[in-house]
Amino acid sequence: MSIVNVPGVSPQLTTDNDMRWRFRQARDLLAKVLAVAATAFGLFWLAWILWTTLSNGLPALKWSLFTQMTPPPGSDGGLLNAFAGSALMSGLAILLGAPIGILAGTFLSEYARHSRLGEVVRFVNDILLSAPSIIIGLFIYELIVRPMGHFSAMAGGVALSFIVLPVVVRTTDEMLQLVPGNMREAALALGIPQWKVVRQILYRAARSGITTGVLLALARISGETAPLLFTALNNQYWTAQLNQPMANVPVVIFQYAMSPYDFWHALAWAGAFVVTMFVLLLSILARGAFFKGVSS
Amino acid sequence: MNQPVHADESTTDPRVTYVDRAPVRVADDRANAMTVLTDDEGVQAPVKVDVRNLNFFYGDTRALKGISLAVAEKRVTALIGPSGCGKSTLIRIFNRIYAIYPKQRAEGEILLDGQNVLAPGYSINRLRTRVGMVFQKPVPFPMSIYDNVAYAIRHYERLSRIQMDERVEVALRSSALWDEVKDKLNRSALGLSGGQQQRLCIARAVALKPEVLLLDEPTSALDPISTAKIEQLIDDLKAQYSVLIVTHNMQQAARVSDFTGFMFLGELVEFGRTKDIFTKPVKKQTEDYITGRFG
Repeated sequence: MSIVNVPGVSPQLTTDNDMRWRFRQARDLLAKVLAVAATAFGLFWLAWILWTTLSNGLPALKWSLFTQMTPPPGSDGGLLNAFAGSALMSGLAILLGAPIGILAGTFLSEYARHSRLGEVVRFVNDILLSAPSIIIGLFIYELIVRPMGHFSAMAGGVALSFIVLPVVVRTTDEMLQLVPGNMREAALALGIPQWKVVRQILYRAARSGITTGVLLALARISGETAPLLFTALNNQYWTAQLNQPMANVPVVIFQYAMSPYDFWHALAWAGAFVVTMFVLLLSILARGAFFKGVSS
Repeated sequence: MNQPVHADESTTDPRVTYVDRAPVRVADDRANAMTVLTDDEGVQAPVKVDVRNLNFFYGDTRALKGISLAVAEKRVTALIGPSGCGKSTLIRIFNRIYAIYPKQRAEGEILLDGQNVLAPGYSINRLRTRVGMVFQKPVPFPMSIYDNVAYAIRHYERLSRIQMDERVEVALRSSALWDEVKDKLNRSALGLSGGQQQRLCIARAVALKPEVLLLDEPTSALDPISTAKIEQLIDDLKAQYSVLIVTHNMQQAARVSDFTGFMFLGELVEFGRTKDIFTKPVKKQTEDYITGRFG
């Protein structure tokens, strides 16, 4: 009767399977196309932004950018005081935020990993991580600027450190948790006290990850404008005094971009270009540090 | 003749010891505390660690039930049993490494040279210098080979460079690793093979000159050649250390140990001289396990 003698497979069923297989192929293809399209959509805007920055910023890039102060309308100048101010305030923010962040991350990972307190702190930290930076600016304004009576670089650095803090807490916590538990056991089994194990073994094992976190935090604050508008504001002149308003790149870009002067526009583009390149460089460094640590 | 009297279900008096076998001293029987064990050659070995009526809990779950056994000085004692029987749980109590996890607790006594190491006053770090441990997975620290060994010594002793070099060399020699690493002591320990890493971990443990060495399935992550090397090493180590080894490999227990305890479902079913356990086990469960009928 039957022609095909393959056990358990009727010709009818084979056709069914064939149909189903084609259908699955089509669905697979559709998913792939959608995923690629979504990626391309995201990349398109990123490329556009980078291209705009590059095409406008590169022609405006001049050596005087790094040697002269921000100019008043109508005269020539650079962004030296803004770069210096940004570097100083970012440095202050890292100096304040990174050690506290690393210690807090250590607390979460090593001393309160499964405790209720740890979970609460971790949750609160995540809220701080996603807090709008303008809120942080307003907070520091109320906390430091108002009592002092004027804007200051110190307030700017503190505001930025509030952005650094949760990033470093989060990465330190996660990177320490990635260190295998048996490394802790092995070290503790030698009779070494816990704080020494943390400092000498776990930090060493998680060093690249923690460094990556700090670098990413630095990248994150490099372009922050809102918190600085309310704290450091701006300064047309050179100052290294922490209790004075201080120039910084993001606010200068903001101010110059809003101005009616072409030369100020060019300076803003140049500043934007330099900041973008700096962030890019930091990200590359962070990746390099991280992967070097992972492979060694 | 050789028929031992043993504490099986029908025996009413639990304090019965085995005749002509390594005796199993029974819980809460301080008067009869065992001080010596007789090994296969009939040589008497003093008891180094005496475990008495030990219970262990993971939260509310009781994982060990009234364990009593003795670890002989400068002998190898093996713990065997199927997965989940509690042998790793037991060995982790000897240096109180379990204590780093908040919900784990032990009740009972572990007497090291007569002192209860589970007593609250017993210094945990001092205990861990006297009782070293090597874990299942080799975990070198992220530093050089030299520093891996020197790290813990530095914590306890101030040594000159020369003295330290010597200590490191002795430790690496006693773990049979010296010849393989002597020319690359400053290289990262992470570059060593698994077997070398495990011997480095042994060197790290013996560098502190402990009295007892705990080995928690030290070869289960290693290839046969590395395993053979470690087994040879264990044989050498017992000249200086009292070794307690957990293994799921019965042949390994038979090869390396003088005394063997068989555990099942959180209980020490049988404990005795290795030869006796493997050739004439008293308990049916032991016999079933070593003949491969379950496990």
